[in-house]
This record gives sequence, structure tokens and C-alpha cells, in this order.
Amino acid sequence: MVIDTHIRPAMFKEIYHDKKTFEKRCNEMNYHLMSPADLSLLKKQLGLAEIEKAVLLPEDNSYSSGTATITNDDIKLLVDLDPELFVGFASVDPRNTDAHEKLSDALSQNEFSGLYINTARLHMSPMDERLVELYDICKIHHKPIIFHSGFSFENYALSKYAEPFLFEEVLTSFPGLNICFAHMGWPWTKETEALLIKYPNAYASTAMMYTDGPYQIYKQELTEGLGEHWYHNIMDKVMFGSGSPRIRPVRSKRGIESLHLPPEVEQKIFHDNAVRFLGLEES
Amino acid sequence: MKTYFKENQVTAKKEFEIIKITDDVRSVVEDSKISNGIVYVISEHTTTGITVNENLECVERDILAQMDRLFPDDYPYNHNHYLPSYGTIGGNAPGHLKSLVTGNHCVYPVVDGEIKLGHAADMYFVEYDGIKNRKYMVYVLGE
Repeated sequence: MVIDTHIRPAMFKEIYHDKKTFEKRCNEMNYHLMSPADLSLLKKQLGLAEIEKAVLLPEDNSYSSGTATITNDDIKLLVDLDPELFVGFASVDPRNTDAHEKLSDALSQNEFSGLYINTARLHMSPMDERLVELYDICKIHHKPIIFHSGFSFENYALSKYAEPFLFEEVLTSFPGLNICFAHMGWPWTKETEALLIKYPNAYASTAMMYTDGPYQIYKQELTEGLGEHWYHNIMDKVMFGSGSPRIRPVRSKRGIESLHLPPEVEQKIFHDNAVRFLGLEES
Repeated sequence: MKTYFKENQVTAKKEFEIIKITDDVRSVVEDSKISNGIVYVISEHTTTGITVNENLECVERDILAQMDRLFPDDYPYNHNHYLPSYGTIGGNAPGHLKSLVTGNHCVYPVVDGEIKLGHAADMYFVEYDGIKNRKYMVYVLGE
């Protein structure tokens, strides 16, 4: 059984509203030549990877772009269609005056399992006061945060706001808050590794679909980049994330499997670490 | 000369699957009311195939297994990199290459309203990059 901690549901037909909105979404997220697909088909694709839970991530940069790219309502709609499969995260644009209230409402009603923030898109330092207010809300509600970290292919994103070490102060200021560095912070993978080793509340996801296919990039970045036994110190911190739709989940999963990790390490990466990060063992 | 065109949809149950379509193509030929002519069956995709072979499970299994040996999934293909035109990683190089070997179409005579298939022959749509909603075209020409 597998938990995928990084799916952007941009292509889900159920949240296709109209052509103009879809084109805006694809332009902002830098997805092209793809068409919306029925949830039934996408669930079959998730099934190929034996995914039992899929974390759906929204994107709210509405202060600068007018409307959220993928709204919290979109996420809620999808989760309601299959609450056993989907785990919904919320997103708010901290530059909006109602961000605090909006996030409080979303988390207090228990409709969302955490917060997704993309500081590269927001052009904000991770310790910006407006963001810290959001972390406080997550702390109150015991909800984890997934940060975009590292380089982003999304348009209008600046990677300088998402270098992993920029988040170190968040880790120290909120030691009780589980924080995930999506994409292993690529290309700052070693910085991410260091944070995972040092901070008990630091996690990372394997959604590293950047230069090469999964068979190549995981070998390059993990086995060769961090060393043959890269998993030794961080096996309890790395979570599977496909990065769909930049790659199909089954292919991303095969890339991890091709590393021939010990079975108990695979089990942690594909499942156990995400259960702990998301707090699913308590529910 | 009359022509008759139809698109048929097919969705595999697995990532790689060989799917018999003979009866579906026969239905299109019957609907065309064309008694004597020719039928083309053409895939609309570049990671699928249209082929003809014997409808035996062991043969079907050998076809897919041999394709995997020819084009292993983990080979470092040129196509396995970021594609700016899509914003995705090109993860389906084996599908493109298997499609190249299988071909994308088959052609048969229609005589007295029947497709002139050999007694052991069946038409197949082959999925090399599933699971996706796929289409193939059936085009009948004749009198």
C-alpha cells in the first residue's frame, strides 16, 4: 500500500470549470498539451501504483493572479467524491487580508488535513510575518505543512524564496509542527538531507521530476548524490510523492523501487512516514 | 464508391495490454452496408499499436514479454527527460518504440460483407502506455 504525498489535481475533469480558467491554471503551473481526465480514469492510474491515499495540493496566489489556480473548494469537492482515497490540503494567499480567517475556517472544520505553501510563487521569505501567522494556526489545529522547496517549473516562481535552508527557522520556531520539503528541495538536495537529519519535525517528499526520468534522477540525486546508503539517516523522513501530473505515479514509484532499497525502508518511504506526517495513526 | 468512418473508444484495464477488437471492427463493417471494398483500422495514438495475430493467451503474453525485452522500462532513453512543450517528464519512451514495431494500422479486404481475415487471425489494439482513454479509427471504402 502506498501514500502519494504530492499530487496537483490540475487535470482532474471534475474541477474543470471553463476553458479560460483551465488555460490560466495550465499557464501558471506550466502544464501543456494535456487534457482534463475523468476521475475514474485517474483512479485507475493511481491503482496501478497501489496508491491507497493521495494528498491533493491546491495553489492560491490570488493576490497577484486574481483567482486561486486550484482552489480549496476544488480540493474539497474532490475529497468529498472519495474521502477514503483523497487527503486534501488547503492553500491561502497570505497577502490577502482574509487569509488568516480563511485558513482558520478551513482547518477548524476539519475539512483539510494540512496547509500547502509555495513561497517561490508568493515571492515571500518563509519567516515573513504574514506566513508565521498561518503557521500559528496550523500549530493550534495540529496540521502539517507542505512547503514547495527548491526549483519550481511554475511560471512566476522564483526559486530563491524556496531554498531549504531558508526554512530552518520555521523548523526551530515550530518544533511541534510537521513540515515537509516537497521535491527534496531539488537541486539543494543535500541541504534538505541536512535538515531532515537535524530536525525531528522535518520531512521531505520524492516528487523530484525535473531533469530526467525517475530511473535516472533518483539514482543521481539519492544514491550518487547523497551516497550509497543515503537512507541510513533519513529513512524515517522521506515520503513518496509522485509529482503528478509531471509524471504518472506508477512511473515515479518504479523509480524508487529501482533503487533496490531494503524492504523495511521502502515500507517507510511508501507508507509509514506519511502516516506519521499526516497524523493518520491518530484517526 | 461509398465511404464509412467510425471512431471506436477503448480503455485498457492494465498499463500494458493486448485487446482483441475483431468483433468491434466487424460491427463497423456491417453498419457501413459496404459489401465489397477495403477496411482500414488505424490507431490515433503514438504509444499504442494495431496488429493482427492469433488469439491465444500464450501468444499474447509472448508479444508483450518480448516487447519488454526489446525495450526495457529502465533504459536511459533520450525521451526520458523534461519536456518543456508538455511541462512533464517523458516517461513513455518504451511505448513509442513498441508502437514503432507493432505499427499503427491494419488493412483487410471486405468481400460479400465479411472481412477476409485468415482463420487464425484476430485484430488487436495494443496499449503500451496505459491506462488512458484511447481511440482507433475504422474507415471502410467500397460499394
